Amino acid sequence: MRPFEPLLPAEEPRRAEAAASLPILTVAEVTQLVKGALRAAPRLRDVWVEGEVGQVSISAAGHCYFTLKDEKAQIKCVIFRDDRLMMPFEARTGLRLVAQGNIDIFDAQGVYQLYVRTLQPSGFGDLALRFEALKAKLQAEGLFDPARKRKLPAYPQTIGVVTSLQGAALHDIRRVLARRWPMARVIVSACQVQGAPAAPTIVAALRRVARWTDDETGRATDVVILARGGGSLEDLWPFNEESVVRAVAAHPCPIVVGVGHETDVTLAEFAADIRAATPSVAAELVVPARSDEQARVEGYASRLHGATSRALSDRRSVLNNEKRALEANHPKAQLAAERERIGVLLDRAARVIARRLEIDRAMTERAGEQLPALAATRIGIARAELNRQSASLSALGPYATLERGYSIVRGPDGTVLRDARNVKSGDSVSVRLHRGELDAWVESVRDSRS
Amino acid sequence: MDKIDAERQRIAALPFDKALSEFRQVVEKLEAGNLPLEDSIALFEQGVLFQRRCEKMLSEAELRFQRLVESAGGKVRALDLSVGEGDEPPA
Repeated sequence: MRPFEPLLPAEEPRRAEAAASLPILTVAEVTQLVKGALRAAPRLRDVWVEGEVGQVSISAAGHCYFTLKDEKAQIKCVIFRDDRLMMPFEARTGLRLVAQGNIDIFDAQGVYQLYVRTLQPSGFGDLALRFEALKAKLQAEGLFDPARKRKLPAYPQTIGVVTSLQGAALHDIRRVLARRWPMARVIVSACQVQGAPAAPTIVAALRRVARWTDDETGRATDVVILARGGGSLEDLWPFNEESVVRAVAAHPCPIVVGVGHETDVTLAEFAADIRAATPSVAAELVVPARSDEQARVEGYASRLHGATSRALSDRRSVLNNEKRALEANHPKAQLAAERERIGVLLDRAARVIARRLEIDRAMTERAGEQLPALAATRIGIARAELNRQSASLSALGPYATLERGYSIVRGPDGTVLRDARNVKSGDSVSVRLHRGELDAWVESVRDSRS
Repeated sequence: MDKIDAERQRIAALPFDKALSEFRQVVEKLEAGNLPLEDSIALFEQGVLFQRRCEKMLSEAELRFQRLVESAGGKVRALDLSVGEGDEPPA
């Protein structure tokens, strides 16, 4: 029995899930979905469409809007200003045209449009078919294989240029090369670039370049430019001729092809080692920029100077060490060293002696410290005894007697006179008193018995 | 002396890429160090020659513009080309 089984709450999340999986999209989201699907379709990325031009209008910004139509349908077409200005051909109402471009959505208006890159008059359709057929064939042969592409030399000395001597292309190439890399030598191999008869002249010009070598060095050209200015697909057609495409692919030098404007594509370009959008770009691609190389040389130069001054300062310190070692071997230095050694020895000796003296002094002092205890009294006693002895000595001495009034008389021979008979009248005698002495003459001698 | 002069002449005739790559090698050798003093100085002097060669080429070069002509024998030669020279139909 489950009376309180919560059936309802269990259902609610299910409903929420249902709501979540039921997508409600914004207009923009739908547009994005359609756009994504369109862009993902490879057939629509590059289409050739033939039809009759309907309404044409040019916007203030310079973009061209028109419709292409046949009996059953029509397509809106856009040519952006920059592309339009480059096109040799204009869309005009009533013309039958072949437009090439890609299909995309214009979000703001919710329409799909053909974004036109090239425009050709009708009848060109045959050319377009030939183009596609030849492209497929050569591609299958591997002529356009990326693995075949050769690297361009970094610093070409001689550049072959295959183009018309009169075209703008040659002028553009010359201008770019003179600015970027004026140390190059340019060798022009002239050909025609316009119309059906041009193809064999292009092939011949390419071969001429391949056959050329410098008389002195025997060097061939380092790189070749094949170029032509802009034009209609028919104008550019020689560059789609099989013979030209094969000559490009087979050329012994790396080859850059710059034909037409940015949007023009020719088969010769597919066969080239590098495809350049225009002749000027081709020239830019084959040479380095002088300013870059100047900076590189400056960089090396500063590294050269830095490394050298480092090497020298290393050397200088090594040299200083060697100089020091050398000076150490000089006789004077040896003497000085000897003197120093002796000095050191003397020092050591002096220190030893000083230490010994110090020890001795310390011992003496220690002995001295013990002395008074033993001897002071004894010395004192001795000194008192000595004083007493000398006092009695002076009391007993002759000079003390003189103090009392006695005198000492010495005869001429210096002997102390004790008997008057030992001198005679006229003898000189000396008399020692308590203070001073008297020199005297004997006047007469009297015998004590007399 | 002769050897130094010969080296001087060799460098003065080098194409840009050769001069530049030898210049780089000299710099790298010097930077690696551990060279006897004489070698360091010789490398420095050589480096200066490379530097001068490169700078001279960069500053003084003038584009040489020629066109190929084919003589009767089929020999291809390059002749100086002046601006605006007319197109010639190929032989």
